[in-house]
Amino acid sequence: MTNSASRLSLVGVTKEFPGIRALDDVSFDVRPGEVHGLLGENGAGKSTMLNILSAVFQATAGQIIIDGQPVTLNRPADARAAGIAMIHQELQHIPQLSVAQNLFLGRPLTKAGGLLVDRRAQERRARDLLADLDPRIDPRAPIHTLKVAQQQIVEIARALLDDARIIAMDEPTSSLTPSEFESLAALIARLAGRGVSVIYVSHKMDEVFRVCDRATILRDGKFIDTVDLAQTTEDQVVARMVGRDILQETHVSHARPKPVMQVEALSDGGFIRDASFTLHQGEVLGLAGLVGSGRTELLRLIAGIDPVSSGRVTLHGTAVNLRSPRHAIRAGIGLVPEERKKDGIVRDRPVSSNIALPCMSRFTRFGLLRRRKLHAESTALMQRMGMRPPDVTRAIGTFSGGNQQKAIIGRWLAADVDILLFDEPTRGIDIGAKSEIYDLIAQLAEAGKSIIVVSSEMPEIMRLSDRVMVMREGRIAAVLDGADISETAIAAYAIPKSAATDQLTPSMEAQQ
Amino acid sequence: MTQTPTAALPRFIARINLRDAGTFFGLILIFAVFAVLNPVFLTSPNLINILQQSSINACIALGMTFVIISGGIDLSVGPAAAISAVVGATLMVAGVPIPLAVIGAIMTGMACGLFSGTLIAVAGLQPFIVTLGGLSLYRALSLIFTGGNPIFGIPPEFRQAINGLVFGVPVPVIIVTIIAVTLWVVLNRTPLGEYILAVGGNPEAARIAGVPVVRTKITVYVLSGGLAAVAALILTGRLGAADPTMGNLWELDAIAAAAIGGASLMGGKGSVVGTIMGAVILGGLRNGLTLMNVQAFYQLLATGIIIIVAMLIDRATRGKA
Repeated sequence: MTNSASRLSLVGVTKEFPGIRALDDVSFDVRPGEVHGLLGENGAGKSTMLNILSAVFQATAGQIIIDGQPVTLNRPADARAAGIAMIHQELQHIPQLSVAQNLFLGRPLTKAGGLLVDRRAQERRARDLLADLDPRIDPRAPIHTLKVAQQQIVEIARALLDDARIIAMDEPTSSLTPSEFESLAALIARLAGRGVSVIYVSHKMDEVFRVCDRATILRDGKFIDTVDLAQTTEDQVVARMVGRDILQETHVSHARPKPVMQVEALSDGGFIRDASFTLHQGEVLGLAGLVGSGRTELLRLIAGIDPVSSGRVTLHGTAVNLRSPRHAIRAGIGLVPEERKKDGIVRDRPVSSNIALPCMSRFTRFGLLRRRKLHAESTALMQRMGMRPPDVTRAIGTFSGGNQQKAIIGRWLAADVDILLFDEPTRGIDIGAKSEIYDLIAQLAEAGKSIIVVSSEMPEIMRLSDRVMVMREGRIAAVLDGADISETAIAAYAIPKSAATDQLTPSMEAQQ
Repeated sequence: MTQTPTAALPRFIARINLRDAGTFFGLILIFAVFAVLNPVFLTSPNLINILQQSSINACIALGMTFVIISGGIDLSVGPAAAISAVVGATLMVAGVPIPLAVIGAIMTGMACGLFSGTLIAVAGLQPFIVTLGGLSLYRALSLIFTGGNPIFGIPPEFRQAINGLVFGVPVPVIIVTIIAVTLWVVLNRTPLGEYILAVGGNPEAARIAGVPVVRTKITVYVLSGGLAAVAALILTGRLGAADPTMGNLWELDAIAAAAIGGASLMGGKGSVVGTIMGAVILGGLRNGLTLMNVQAFYQLLATGIIIIVAMLIDRATRGKA
């Protein structure tokens, strides 16, 4: 495997934790100026690999060779010295400090013999560095005033400041809009052009195929293959990742003509204006639109989370009190939020407690919780939904994203709501669990639940929805039905006139 | 691979909280050291004495534990106790029947909690600052009302009831035991307990899941205020007077007991059994050092060391789990 043309060679890298072998004899190499994807389901060993490269963990066995030199990575400083930089999913900087201050954090440029920080020199250096990456970023702006995409660019600048030869990116696009992704892709291409090797970890196949030259696939901690993406299809890669074929299910509608929920001229007094639509029994209504078009905000209004300024929601002909989530839930509306960690789970509590929160009265007799009933019902529920392992007494935080999502969906089944609102239901979930979530949503519709699914992934919208509602700048731009549903139609309604040009610029940049 | 060893163990072992077991081990260790150093320490009169001395702090600390689990803090417990004692004693001296006076005192404590709780849960103010304000406010009110003088003339029946023994156990110990058992049930076997743990663990997720967050938060502060009043009544009965300066620095002892017992100031974690053990550890430490004629200054030193050591062990064991 090792050859002199490699920037980075991993030879037989193994990492053992008590009772588990997270990486098992993994070998692959990354060439100079190559964008190399690292693929695998959750738990396949991608994070462990990144943690070894950034010296958070030390490998149990194996060798890491950079530009022909074996390196020992014991401390994060070793990784930096070896020219490896990590761009984490959750960006690491101090929000109140300026861009320049963040760039030079921990290694300031000084004057007066090292006594004082030379802010002006830092800002000058930062401006030079950023001119290459994104000249719109002001080095003196507090970093929290920047968009997430720009904060990410600052992080990349920080890596370049360290003369990084290898930049590893962990799910870099999880909070980027499509146009921001295009800019990032262009930037990555430029980095590669300069000879920097990029290791790109993502769940999104289309991105990986768009950005990467080759990709290494891991499964259960083992090396499966390194593939040349130009000669491979997405389906082939996915099949190797999960170790089996994922069937492309066709969409079956369970929608019945009976209207269940009516949303009338709903507004939040600011961004969301005059949202009106009808949801039918057993229907899956896809909610498409760009990130920031108001999809999440609309769901939050209907779920009683944010205050409504005007308009109303009626369920089975009765107006729903939207004063609090508790009121909305009592009326029969439940939300599966996008940010599971922040809005969904109570991490340290058992799965069963997380399930019971909205419907505690069902598990209470004479004021006391019926733990046995709760345990039995939630275990049955989680077994039916395929939670692994189906141990509901364990803290929910110890489970994978897919299993956590099943518990949150289970919560609304236990509470027996009629309307389920899903916000990006498969974000951060590996491909195997993804298709299980799809099946679940279809089953719920078949059982007569009415469902709204917000998704930024076109294939997800196409696969799940009976009808597709498109939002643009806080308003409902269109509701598409039957043959009218197509990716081009959705995109046409989703992109605002002003942003259409913005959309084009970065991809033109990429071609230069 | 994911099979946990606990699944193979008998249920009762699997159900014992690891953190509580750690606190218990610490308790045994400290008591063993004192037992070796001083033969009087481990005699039953002295052990009962320790429980009696710990009961007031335990009572306050139980309320504090609930507040801390909910993600808050209650710095106003000492002054809330003082104002409750003053109200209760004034009622008793004025000839109001003792049970009514007791209820009046407890209502006063609960009113203090309702005040803080409403400001925190409804107005969204920070618990630390609100209860810091309450600390000054309630202290000032009780000093102004009494002119700074203790209220004497507590009816002897009340004093006898508090200082009495039931089956050889002091009444305060029995009162606190009943409170602790009740609160254990509330935390572990009622919806309110689940709500408190959820609100402390992740308030936003709890709200979205339909937890009545405002009501839950107010409830814990009302509980804390009510328990401060109970502690105040116990002390009033023992001293035979209600002192408006009562309860100085009680909040710190209570926070210490709760923290030693495993309550996390980040919210979402805490244990009734642990807090009781924490209060007994602090009480036993003071008792043991006093028996050995160690100066009070050194007792303070030992308390500080115990708290910090407990937190270090806490961090070390949680890191592994």
